[in-house]
Amino acid sequence: MTDSLTEAPPAGRIAIAGAGIRLGEGAAAFEVVRDIDLAIPPRQFVCLLGPSGCGKSTLLGALAGHLGLARGSLSLDGQPVAGPHPERGIVFQQHTLLPWRRVLDNVAFGPKMRGVPRAERLDRARDFLALVGLADFADRYPSELSGGMQQRVEIARVLINQPRVLLMDEPFGALDAQTRLMMQELLLDIWTRLPTTVVFVTHDIDEALFLGDRVLVMSARPGRILEDIPLAFPRPRGRDLVTDPDFVALKRRCLDLLRPRDGRPPLPRLTPLGLPLAGAA
Amino acid sequence: MSTDEATARRRYRILAVLSPLTLLGAWAFVTAQGLATPTILPSPLAVLASLTDMVGHGYSGVDLATHVLASLRRVGIAFCGGALLGTAIGLLRGRVPEIDALFLVPSELVRPIPPLGLIPLFILWFGIGETSKILLIFLSVFLIAMVNAQAGARACSLDALRAARSMGAGRWQAFRFVVLPSALPQIMTGLRVAMGTALTILVAAELLGGDRGLGFLILDASSFFRTTYVFAGIVLVGLIGLASDRAIALLGRRIVHWEGKR
Repeated sequence: MTDSLTEAPPAGRIAIAGAGIRLGEGAAAFEVVRDIDLAIPPRQFVCLLGPSGCGKSTLLGALAGHLGLARGSLSLDGQPVAGPHPERGIVFQQHTLLPWRRVLDNVAFGPKMRGVPRAERLDRARDFLALVGLADFADRYPSELSGGMQQRVEIARVLINQPRVLLMDEPFGALDAQTRLMMQELLLDIWTRLPTTVVFVTHDIDEALFLGDRVLVMSARPGRILEDIPLAFPRPRGRDLVTDPDFVALKRRCLDLLRPRDGRPPLPRLTPLGLPLAGAA
Repeated sequence: MSTDEATARRRYRILAVLSPLTLLGAWAFVTAQGLATPTILPSPLAVLASLTDMVGHGYSGVDLATHVLASLRRVGIAFCGGALLGTAIGLLRGRVPEIDALFLVPSELVRPIPPLGLIPLFILWFGIGETSKILLIFLSVFLIAMVNAQAGARACSLDALRAARSMGAGRWQAFRFVVLPSALPQIMTGLRVAMGTALTILVAAELLGGDRGLGFLILDASSFFRTTYVFAGIVLVGLIGLASDRAIALLGRRIVHWEGKR
């Protein structure tokens, strides 16, 4: 493996101050997140935990530069975030691999966009495919891979751009339970080898506690940060962690925090037709 | 390939060959039984005889190849022009709202008008020469290609675009490497539809006048009740249609090799 994996990007310090994000237009506009103040030091693994619709993905979209702020500021290493950039890579729940390109060419996509010569970018793509354990699948098409493998390729094609920040939007949410656990361990393994800040969005408490240095629990809309929980579990972490008493205690705390507050009933469950489900209050 | 797939593929081929043969057999049977007047429905053999006659001696003093080439040239020019321009504008309409706004009303005003209804107008404007015929075909191909390319350009997911931008792709690169390939399946389907329509309009457009082309041949033969020649002309147009459709479909499968595998 060449040293293309370990060239250190400068840092990866995120600073968010008084950030608010509005979506929609005119009268239909609503505030998705409000008053977010947050400082993330370089190389930290931060999990954003919250109920669905709390705006955690929206906040991630703003970090990626796909959405603008209505208020406040957002910067990476002192530079205001303006528009998408390879230094802030993002992985979505559904992979975005190009079905018409081989796995290797998919991984080499970022360098190709930036004009890296073909031989060089394919070499680097091979390194990053090896990093996610898929060196033997370079010449396959994405459709020939399982869901977990597709998501590993997606991670490789983001990491090849040597991002200072890796943004992950429920990246393992569409995978089966077994694969999800395997991917979590793989991600931690990769992260220890790459100097990258990670912001990981999830609604899975176990996942957040297992992965992060820190869990930020968010409230329902408009999303605010309810609590900032540091996680001191030693690394490398094994599966035993989830039965550790401290882990269980923190899990209970998160469950409490995520429970609807102020006597407000939970949002009605929706059927596929969008109608509230009878008797599901 | 599994044996199941091989069997399914063989069955497909057999059915695809059997169905036209059955139609041909039914046609031969009806005419052999004398169930139809030959001037209304000639026998397949009589049509074949006329076809052979035209191959040897031409039609109305002109080589059959000249008729066929005249028709192919008209369709070819109009199809290529219409497909290129229609696809380009359709893709832009799909991604740039301002361009969509520019084309929306004009294209939706023209689209419902049957191209054949435009024939008198085109004669007035462009005369009865090649220009009218080619422009008429061009217009219908253009409209079909544009609508399909536009829908195709919107098929690309927002996440895929955002991911590409986050990997360093500029706007043009995202369009070139993500939007365009995503739209290809629908573009190719649109081109198949457009080719079928182009041949329909061709025959009609050649009724405009002139003394070359398969449409001319069919019309001329029918006005002299030479039904076997009418049929021979129709068969030729049909064969061209079949061949061009298969060619575009094959090309489509080559270009859009990933379709149906997701």
